[in-house]
Amino acid sequence: MVNDKIVIRNLAGLHLKPAGILCQAAMPYKSMISLRIGHRTVNAKSVLGLLGACVKCGDEVEFICEGVDEQEALSAMLKVVKDGLGE
Amino acid sequence: MYKGTSASAGIGIGKVVKIEEVELVVHANHVSDPAAEIERFKGALSQTMEDTQRLADDLAKRVGEKEAEIMQGHLMLMSDPMITGEIESTITRDSICCDYAIETVFNLYADMFAAMDDELMQQRATDMKDIKVRIQSVLQGAKAVDISSLPAGSVIIAKDLTPSMTAGINPANVTGIVTELGGKTSHSAILARALEIPAVVALTDFMSKVSDGDSIVLDGATGEVIVNADEAVLKEYTAKKEKFLEEKRELQKYIGKPTITKDDVHVELVANIGRPEDVEKVLEYDGEGVGLFRTEFLFMDRDSMPTEEEQFEAYKKVAVALSGKPVIIRTLDIGGDKEIPYMGLQKDENPFLGYRAIRFCLDRKDDVYRPQLRALLRASAFGNIKIMIPLVISIDEYREAKALIEEIKLELQEKNITYNKEIQVGIMVETAAASLIADIFAKEADFFSIGTNDLTQYTLCVDRGNDKISHLYSTFNPAVLRSIKRIITCAREAGIMVGMCGEAASDPMMIPLLLAFGLNEFSMSASAILSSRKMITNYSTEELQAVADKALSFATTKEVEDYMREFISQ
Repeated sequence: MVNDKIVIRNLAGLHLKPAGILCQAAMPYKSMISLRIGHRTVNAKSVLGLLGACVKCGDEVEFICEGVDEQEALSAMLKVVKDGLGE
Repeated sequence: MYKGTSASAGIGIGKVVKIEEVELVVHANHVSDPAAEIERFKGALSQTMEDTQRLADDLAKRVGEKEAEIMQGHLMLMSDPMITGEIESTITRDSICCDYAIETVFNLYADMFAAMDDELMQQRATDMKDIKVRIQSVLQGAKAVDISSLPAGSVIIAKDLTPSMTAGINPANVTGIVTELGGKTSHSAILARALEIPAVVALTDFMSKVSDGDSIVLDGATGEVIVNADEAVLKEYTAKKEKFLEEKRELQKYIGKPTITKDDVHVELVANIGRPEDVEKVLEYDGEGVGLFRTEFLFMDRDSMPTEEEQFEAYKKVAVALSGKPVIIRTLDIGGDKEIPYMGLQKDENPFLGYRAIRFCLDRKDDVYRPQLRALLRASAFGNIKIMIPLVISIDEYREAKALIEEIKLELQEKNITYNKEIQVGIMVETAAASLIADIFAKEADFFSIGTNDLTQYTLCVDRGNDKISHLYSTFNPAVLRSIKRIITCAREAGIMVGMCGEAASDPMMIPLLLAFGLNEFSMSASAILSSRKMITNYSTEELQAVADKALSFATTKEVEDYMREFISQ
């Protein structure tokens, strides 16, 4: 299992569009990918899960990846967030 | 006459077509073969996704990429493993029909979103309900009213317009929309605006007040709706509609035109914005830049200070979006009047004359001002950013802020971080003090922007919000006019740019005076840009000198207003 933290900088937080992009980036990986914010952990491959986490601009989230391709999955998650999630 | 919420401007005249909610029968029916039921679900889901993709493609073609995104969002939600997984396990666990499983699962999520206190999230509830109904309609073979083949002159009346319904609307036939639910920022409002169909929303219980075929008139800008109007009223609205469309066409002509007066004086026509998202409108209305970018949004509605990174991203976004056009960014202007718990501010006894803006920022250099100025300087590498300091009353304040900026420039240089070395630092001229010593400021500031709203309040000692005295507020008060003239003259004499970002910049009665005084830049709400360009290009500053002299000769506000009103009506 690998994990790392990153700050969400999208102005409107993780709303439908960026959540969709994050989700799409997570799908190809075999590993389980979770996003933790505060005490909540949600499945990053579920748009609903991501939306339900209600992540706002400035929130620090933690990606937790577990599986055969966990390293690549984690890098991919961090990269897609750094690249702005389509915004 | 009914009154709802204005959602999309324009006049709609036509005949009522009521769109009833699809009659779906959902019972908790037991099924003997859950596996087959799951297949039935998958089939309906796949059909719905195909239909949605088609709608998305059609919308992208007819309207735009952004509007089609709403449908893309639906596709994402429909393929979400959390939903499909839960529906399938419900079917298996309870041996229940998929219609019912869909009902319970989608309602669960719709309720979850509706309960959140974020407006964007609440709108997802509508999405969930829309998707639910569509999948169930496919399952039950229910046909929704074919909106795309309505007769011409139809005004759609519905409880709420789901995104998929709105997507099917053909503007050739639909001349207006009225809904019982919804708001200015709901999907249907956004799409109605994109399709340029007049729309009124939030008109409670309206469905019960009209029948198919009733004649109806709606004013999307005011939210007014009239049913079965008489001849006279119909005529009135038809005329209003013609006028609205005519004005719209007229103004379209001014897109891409330079803002030059009849005697060849160039002025800059730019916009006031409060959020990066506003830039879209600025470009749509052919703004030549941004004359005031208010930065307070970054600091409000949150429980911690925005980081330098967050601020940098926001400033950079706007600078890049405007690709080289000037963007004047005003540094933080908040204080004891706003609720900002993490700032540690006490509520001011007298917020207008209180601990705010530059006086606050210079007191909190390390945790507030430095990060903002650093973010601005870093963002200056990506566009044409100018820094503007609010509420100055003495040259010391300007010098102190400038010194801080120079310090930060050196820091950035040491770290090899690029920024615009020639970045301009100007001031908002909005206090009586700044007006009176404008000549002193003009020697050192790189530009002025006149904030007429506050300048008027401070000069006249009037709180616009106070009903008892708001009638005393007027930018045409001789004291304020003289201030404005003085500020512009001092700037022109020193050879620096002088603009105006208060409401007065787009006031048809004020524009002739500002042109005569020599204002270089007019900053206003994006939607006022085209009509202002039309006005400005039809004036000659030379001819306006006599008008300005006359206006300045009056002793009372009323005389000035009457004179200007008379002048522009000719």
